[in-house]
Amino acid sequence: MFPAPILEYFRPASVGEATRLLSGGAGENAHIIAGGQSLMQAIKSRLISPDALIDLQDIKALRSIHFDKNGLVIGAMTSYADIASDKRIPAAFAALCDAAGHVGDRQVRNRGTIGGSLCWNYIAACLPPTCLGLSATLELQNAAGRRRMVEARAFLKGPLETDRSSDELLIAIHLGPAAARTGSAYRKWGLVTDALPVVNICVSLEVGADHICREARVALGARSEGPTRVEAAELALRGVRKGDVRAIDAALDAAAEAADYQSDLWADAPYKKVLLRKIGREAVTVAFARASGEVGK
Amino acid sequence: MKRAITITVNGQEHEEMVENRLLLVDFLRDVINLTGTHVGCSFEGVCGACTVHLDGVPVKSCLMLAVQADGRSITTVEGLAKNGVLSILQQSFTEHHALQCGYCTSGILMNATEFLQSNPSPSEDEIRASLIGNICRCTGYVHIVAAIKTAAQRLAATRLEVAK
Repeated sequence: MFPAPILEYFRPASVGEATRLLSGGAGENAHIIAGGQSLMQAIKSRLISPDALIDLQDIKALRSIHFDKNGLVIGAMTSYADIASDKRIPAAFAALCDAAGHVGDRQVRNRGTIGGSLCWNYIAACLPPTCLGLSATLELQNAAGRRRMVEARAFLKGPLETDRSSDELLIAIHLGPAAARTGSAYRKWGLVTDALPVVNICVSLEVGADHICREARVALGARSEGPTRVEAAELALRGVRKGDVRAIDAALDAAAEAADYQSDLWADAPYKKVLLRKIGREAVTVAFARASGEVGK
Repeated sequence: MKRAITITVNGQEHEEMVENRLLLVDFLRDVINLTGTHVGCSFEGVCGACTVHLDGVPVKSCLMLAVQADGRSITTVEGLAKNGVLSILQQSFTEHHALQCGYCTSGILMNATEFLQSNPSPSEDEIRASLIGNICRCTGYVHIVAAIKTAAQRLAATRLEVAK
């Protein structure tokens, strides 16, 4: 399988250089390539045939995990492998490590990036619902140097659609600030281990010292309309005590109803609901454990 | 359309003019004639037969362009043996009969070589999880897992020797 001819290949060394290429310097049909683990499939199958590729691998500033006064900042070009293995990521954002640690396989995790996943926004992807469930804020920059902060909720539109303008570059993903005693978890189900998700869920819980959930965020992916937050499940989880399986299951029933799953080759809609309850219970349980400082895997 | 690139492969620099659309795996096989790296699934990037090291890290060479490897260092299966002596992992593969047709073997060797560097004493579950990106259609993995396990033990023994 061979890609169609690619007229130009650019490897900018800075964000400024990359955005200048995006805003016309690289021609009209230019495409950014981050880790390329989705894009190369699309290019090889000629689903897309870019005239120019803008490879971000040399922009070191985009590859970092650090903390600022609000919380965690992850550069858009940070690989899944680097996120999954970073021991500093706190319980509040541990869902990121769950998600990044089970994307594809080792080889894919070494190349694939969080920013690439968010900008591609494929239906069966792990990072979009995770960033949604963690209320991430995305930092974008254009050629004029204008920086713009967008909530994941506004950024992630329908499948393969985002709020990014064609002349903007995703710079970083910001997480936090998170309240004390917040824990999160991500779980998915696919046909084989670590496969593309057929059903997935990200749960983030703020829990009181009395082990009662104060605030909850629940996000689902693997839907034909793209990832979404599920307010019914979030409301149902508020006030629930850690270990109250019945109440947790009721919240997940609400999530399964709101998911609006479609039957496909991999699972029919009722089965997806069953799967969501199963992985959802695990995600909620682990999020509760992490919120109270227990090290949950 | 074409671009001059320099890629270091198994310690040797290669300067070539290549088309932008040339895949790294095709550069390795067809331009510099290192055919130990295989093409299995051809486009999805799920079989792992084309796994090589990019600056020491296993990646699928069918999911990147040769121009993306410009200025970087690649190791292929041909780079594992030193002076005609198989690596400890390769030796273990031959002893355990961890290959039958051998098609997937080079990719598995490249993945597992780095895996054992980052996780020197893996459990069987960890070994199996590390192989998710490499599809083998004939040995059934049992021998492959055994070979990696033995190699881990031998590498640990070698490190002990060196430490002494």
